[in-house]
Amino acid sequence: MTALQTDVRVHIATRGEETAAAPGQARHVDGTASGGAAMEVRHLSAWYGAKLAVSDVTFQARQRAITAIIGPSGSGKSTVLRALNRMLEVVPTARITGDVTFHGMDIYARGVDPASVRRSIGMVFQQPNPFPTMSIYDNVAAAPRFNGIVKGRAATDELVEQALRRAALWDEVKDVLGRSGASLSGGQQQRLCIARALAVNPDVILMDEPCSALDPIATLQIEELARELSERYAIVIVTHNMQQAARASDHTIFMSMNEERAGYVVEIGPTSEMFTNPRNKLTEDYITGRFG
Amino acid sequence: MSAEFHLRPSGAMRHARDRLILGLCVIAGLVAVLPLAAVLFFLVVEGAKAWTPAFLVTPPGPLTLPGGGAAHAILGTLEMTGLALLISVPVGTAVALYVVEYRAGKLALVVRTAVDLMAGIPSIVIGLFIYALLVLTMGHFSGLAGAVALSLIMLPIIARTSEEMFKIVPRRLREATMALAMPRWRAIASVYVPTVAAGLMTGIVLAVSRAVGETAPLLFTSLGSNFIQPDITQPMSALPLYMFQNALNIGFPAARQRAWAAALTLVVIVLLFNIVGRWLATRASLPAARN
Repeated sequence: MTALQTDVRVHIATRGEETAAAPGQARHVDGTASGGAAMEVRHLSAWYGAKLAVSDVTFQARQRAITAIIGPSGSGKSTVLRALNRMLEVVPTARITGDVTFHGMDIYARGVDPASVRRSIGMVFQQPNPFPTMSIYDNVAAAPRFNGIVKGRAATDELVEQALRRAALWDEVKDVLGRSGASLSGGQQQRLCIARALAVNPDVILMDEPCSALDPIATLQIEELARELSERYAIVIVTHNMQQAARASDHTIFMSMNEERAGYVVEIGPTSEMFTNPRNKLTEDYITGRFG
Repeated sequence: MSAEFHLRPSGAMRHARDRLILGLCVIAGLVAVLPLAAVLFFLVVEGAKAWTPAFLVTPPGPLTLPGGGAAHAILGTLEMTGLALLISVPVGTAVALYVVEYRAGKLALVVRTAVDLMAGIPSIVIGLFIYALLVLTMGHFSGLAGAVALSLIMLPIIARTSEEMFKIVPRRLREATMALAMPRWRAIASVYVPTVAAGLMTGIVLAVSRAVGETAPLLFTSLGSNFIQPDITQPMSALPLYMFQNALNIGFPAARQRAWAAALTLVVIVLLFNIVGRWLATRASLPAARN
């Protein structure tokens, strides 16, 4: 077993005990102060087959903060996001070079189980994808059960309630937990997917354009939720929507590409600065809507 | 300006051609439906004459005389088809999962091609194969040999439909199970299978419908019997065999009627299996009640 696998287990165990204690305390076993890097990406390049999709991307995702990745279609935002929890390798032709570390541990080190990476780094997708044949309750409970995170009815009930509360969905579904996950509205389904991701006790949550299929009200709810969640988790959100990045993130990474160049980082900085005083002309053009 | 636009009534010729084609289609449809309707009509009219509760529960009498039932054949059909199901459903589903979910490269392709070829083997050849494999080695005909022969007929149907079904599990559900770090077999058992349960069940129902009416593979495996024989290691009758036996004596009205009644029984069994299958599939795709 590698260092990462052991560490991740310790992580989960520590947090399991903490469930009963005051939330938010002693969350990070490494004791990093708020704002330290939860994930670091160094010189990440990604290919699909022979085609370079992302070249030499370097950034950090800080703890208890929201990092937004913005940029036009094809600039490699989702590719970068998927490299952060090894969901990229699900695509048969995809490969990467560079380093991705989670609390200093290389998630691509030899012998690291991708499942242990994904348990610690959860993901929410573009289209809400609750399991249609499962109840709302089981949508949340299934993965922790299968991963051995909870056993027994009482503990599972507690975990499901906690996850749904954190995803701001509990009050809407507490009386219909037996109903199909597919019976909910789009925004509720997306929050169910967030609850489902929270239930396996991740440390980082990746969101891949989580609002692109939602109406404006549901979008605002998800943004507010992301803000609340950022008090506990590191969040990395890919978005098409510049207003969303401006409203809902602490740090912004602007990516772009052109004919000569695969997806690359144009500018990284605190969101407030980038949107009020962009350093790069390209960034300025993009955020003012002149291209993209 | 208005001269640029013309709203003309459609031409009479065009109208007539439309109607002609429509008429031909309707006729073709009727021609296709007619034989089915005729079969069902004769089946019910002729079958009903001998289809009494006694027919379903009595053992057979002398072939040329009235009376006597198909209890032994019904029992044989249920036992052999049931055992064939128990063999072919797990194996067929496993083959499909191997090909689709575990994408094992060349070997998967070989397995898949083999299954496809199997679907093309005439059923009497399968009967002969099982005769050589089981009947000769066991030293006697048996319901077991018949069931194995039927399972070989069902296997490619189940494997192929299951394969198609597992292929249509939406990618976003697969990604969800992976992002939640679900073990693959758990994802298969609790997400993929329930999601495509209706389609999997269609494959099973199709396979059963096909196997339940097969006579050729049973001729020299289960052979047939004139007694109620629950022991599957012994020769056994089945409804198609019983129909064959009786229909050979078509000169005797009683035998002819029993053949029709047996045919009706066969169709009713397939129908009931269809209904139960569909009901089970619907249940599997609904979220389980929590309490």
